[in-house]
Amino acid sequence: MRRVLLVLEPIIWGLFSAGMMVGGLLLPAWAFVMGVAGPLGIAPAAASYDHFYAIASHPLGRLVLLAAMALPLWGGAHHLRHLWLDFGGLKSDGLVGALCYGGALVGSLLAIVAVARL
Amino acid sequence: MSHSTPIVDAMKPSRPGATRTAPPRPPDGFPSRGNYRAYIAFGFGGFFLFTVSLLVLRSVWALGNGEAAWNRLQTSFQNPIYVLFHALAFLWLSWFILRLFRLFPATQPKRIGPFQRPPDALMVAGLSGAFVVVTLVVAAILWGAF
Repeated sequence: MRRVLLVLEPIIWGLFSAGMMVGGLLLPAWAFVMGVAGPLGIAPAAASYDHFYAIASHPLGRLVLLAAMALPLWGGAHHLRHLWLDFGGLKSDGLVGALCYGGALVGSLLAIVAVARL
Repeated sequence: MSHSTPIVDAMKPSRPGATRTAPPRPPDGFPSRGNYRAYIAFGFGGFFLFTVSLLVLRSVWALGNGEAAWNRLQTSFQNPIYVLFHALAFLWLSWFILRLFRLFPATQPKRIGPFQRPPDALMVAGLSGAFVVVTLVVAAILWGAF
């Protein structure tokens, strides 16, 4: 498995760097508005179905949401794998890498389905 | 003289090397000393990238299931554990991206294409400013300001 991961390294690196940038730019605002201000009633429109549907069903909204869902998964997976390497060494890297990137791949496919069915 | 497959592999030493290689080990003081803490905290930002993007996916999925599913999700997001998690994720990811931008100049060459690289402070200020602007615009859209 490690050999496969080494062959895929350039693709994974591209997705990782894009995910770190997209996730770092888009997710803090999401976490604050949708996860804190909306549920606490400070931003009632954020929790409104009609408001969010209007944003998410717009073609540009779908594209941005797809990027905000799929790319950070790869950024996160790569970081978590390397955190594991720092603490656990190379011993189980093949398994951990496969789990991290497998999760990111499944999440990315689900993200495509999620925006397609809006 | 035939030119068949060579029997000597030039990349393989003929006998074991005299110098033994020590197995890899973590540096002294890892992970609690000095800059290692920030390094580990930065790596742990991956956990928040991964989980928050899964929560965005969960939200968009619920949106596709209709208004009742969306309202159920919003009710679950009112759980204090979710609110605390999102507040922590907001702080962690903001620090994460600002640290990435602070380290960015160290990754750049002396010339970027035909241009001299801009001063480090200008690069950091530009990228950090872009983060603030993007965050405010995305927050305003989600907030319902437009």
